[in-house]
Amino acid sequence: MNALMSHRWSQVLLSIFTGLMIWEIAGWQFNSAFFAPVLGSDTPFANAIAQWIAGLFGKTIAEPHPGTVPKLISMLAAADMREAFWEVAGEQGWIAGVQRAVEASTLLKAVSESIMLFITGLALALLIGLFLGMAMARLPNLRIALEHYILALYSTPMAALIPFILAIFGFEFWPKVLVVFLFALFPILYNTLEGARSLKPEYVEVSKAFRSSEWRLWTDIIIPYTLPFGLTGLRQGIARALVGMVASEILLNPAGIGDVLVSRSQAFDMAGVLAAITIVTVLGATLMASVRGFENRYVKWRNAVR
Amino acid sequence: MSAMAVTSSSTPLAAFLRRPAVLKIGTGLALLLLWEVTVRLFGAPFVVRPSGVFAAMPAALGDAKLWAMAWSSLSAVFLGLVISLIIGTVIGVAMGRVPWVNRVSELWVNSFYTMPMVAILPLLTMWFGFTETARFAIIVFAALFSIIINVADGVRSVPREYIEVAQSFRARRSDIWFGISLLASVPYLIAGIRLAVGRALVGTVLAEIYASVEGVGYFILVNARSLEQNTAMCAVLILAAFGIAVDAMMGFTLKRWFPWYRREGRQ
Repeated sequence: MNALMSHRWSQVLLSIFTGLMIWEIAGWQFNSAFFAPVLGSDTPFANAIAQWIAGLFGKTIAEPHPGTVPKLISMLAAADMREAFWEVAGEQGWIAGVQRAVEASTLLKAVSESIMLFITGLALALLIGLFLGMAMARLPNLRIALEHYILALYSTPMAALIPFILAIFGFEFWPKVLVVFLFALFPILYNTLEGARSLKPEYVEVSKAFRSSEWRLWTDIIIPYTLPFGLTGLRQGIARALVGMVASEILLNPAGIGDVLVSRSQAFDMAGVLAAITIVTVLGATLMASVRGFENRYVKWRNAVR
Repeated sequence: MSAMAVTSSSTPLAAFLRRPAVLKIGTGLALLLLWEVTVRLFGAPFVVRPSGVFAAMPAALGDAKLWAMAWSSLSAVFLGLVISLIIGTVIGVAMGRVPWVNRVSELWVNSFYTMPMVAILPLLTMWFGFTETARFAIIVFAALFSIIINVADGVRSVPREYIEVAQSFRARRSDIWFGISLLASVPYLIAGIRLAVGRALVGTVLAEIYASVEGVGYFILVNARSLEQNTAMCAVLILAAFGIAVDAMMGFTLKRWFPWYRREGRQ
């Protein structure tokens, strides 16, 4: 037992299992509008398991209980997805086929809409945040001029600006991008600024003394030095951009995952709400883990520099 | 710096403009001017602008309703923070000190922490209705996990020797937990609070907008909708002032009393 427990993956699996058990048991205590178990009993497979477990305690289950995972699967995989794929794939290639298949599934369509919004906003924030941050590393006067305003905006809750965006720009795609952008920009900018502040002016002076060209100054000093700080900012930016994404999809024109969340909650379908929350969380955790992996792989030396 | 000094002493005016204070205030004024001009040229008459905000400020800040709303939101944030501090510290210390607690809960705490908090807003309104309780729940949810994670990190980083010395003097477990581990991880706790306040503020505003609960967010929503954007902006300024004040306070505390604490921020 001890040898098994010392293995990392068995610990993780045990932790997942314990958590899911608690969730399952809690889910059965309430009605389906209040909380939903993981497996439930409204699909044949889940029902068989639930009846078997109930049988162990000498009971039978009368009313079906919707479960989160069966719901998630049914929302993900529409029945006609395969048909939709083959309908188009033969003539227009498999990319078009995949597109059609994604459109056939409610949840996949919503997720792809949300990811579009997320990536557009985050990419703009990353582009502008990194460029402005690096410009501040190059021009100390620009940094002195702007840093307090950036600090102030960093600790302002950007959510308070959503009503203004709604009133001024409306609720289509680009206003939503603006929300995601504003949520993501300041953590990226703030952290790149941190890098700009800690860049020693001697580096720039020495390279100037050796008549370095402006181009080489950027590629050899400013970008390598500030990029790791920017990546730390990117991790914070992703977390905030996800909040901005869901918030804009809930509060502006309902679309994507936000729309699924709101419509499922209005239908008092707790299993559906939990399924959508699970998707958002998995999305966030995957993104965070990949940025962290990227950081560990490419910018490990940063901690030594600091 | 020396290279700049050479170029900046060309004329007295240029030297004056390069003073940090002048540079900062000048940039601020220039940004406000840019905002004003842009809105005047391209925006509709109701769009928020600096001159309008200044004009609306005396009336808005003299309005008892705004302060009542602000009090409602900020007191909820404060109370939620106190509760998540108490619960989060206990769970965090337990996770840092007891290996099996950490094994069982680390994955779940991390995923609740990564979960975008607005996503549970619809769920909370199903549980608590469109009420202040739902807002309170999201504040606790937003604040709790950053405190747990930071406290657990802090407790893990307590030097082994502290614990060993305490144990050899037969310290009670409660003293090791809260007298040594927790005290030694106070700077981590402060960093956690700093994060938690930011997240809680966002959660409050979003909950108020979504669930129409009386508060700053709702005040902003109503005024921005009824073409009173300049008044709404005054409420945003109150929120911003609160966020900046807390941030500055925590930053000052860390710098003043824990100058040795330097660690990559975790968010």
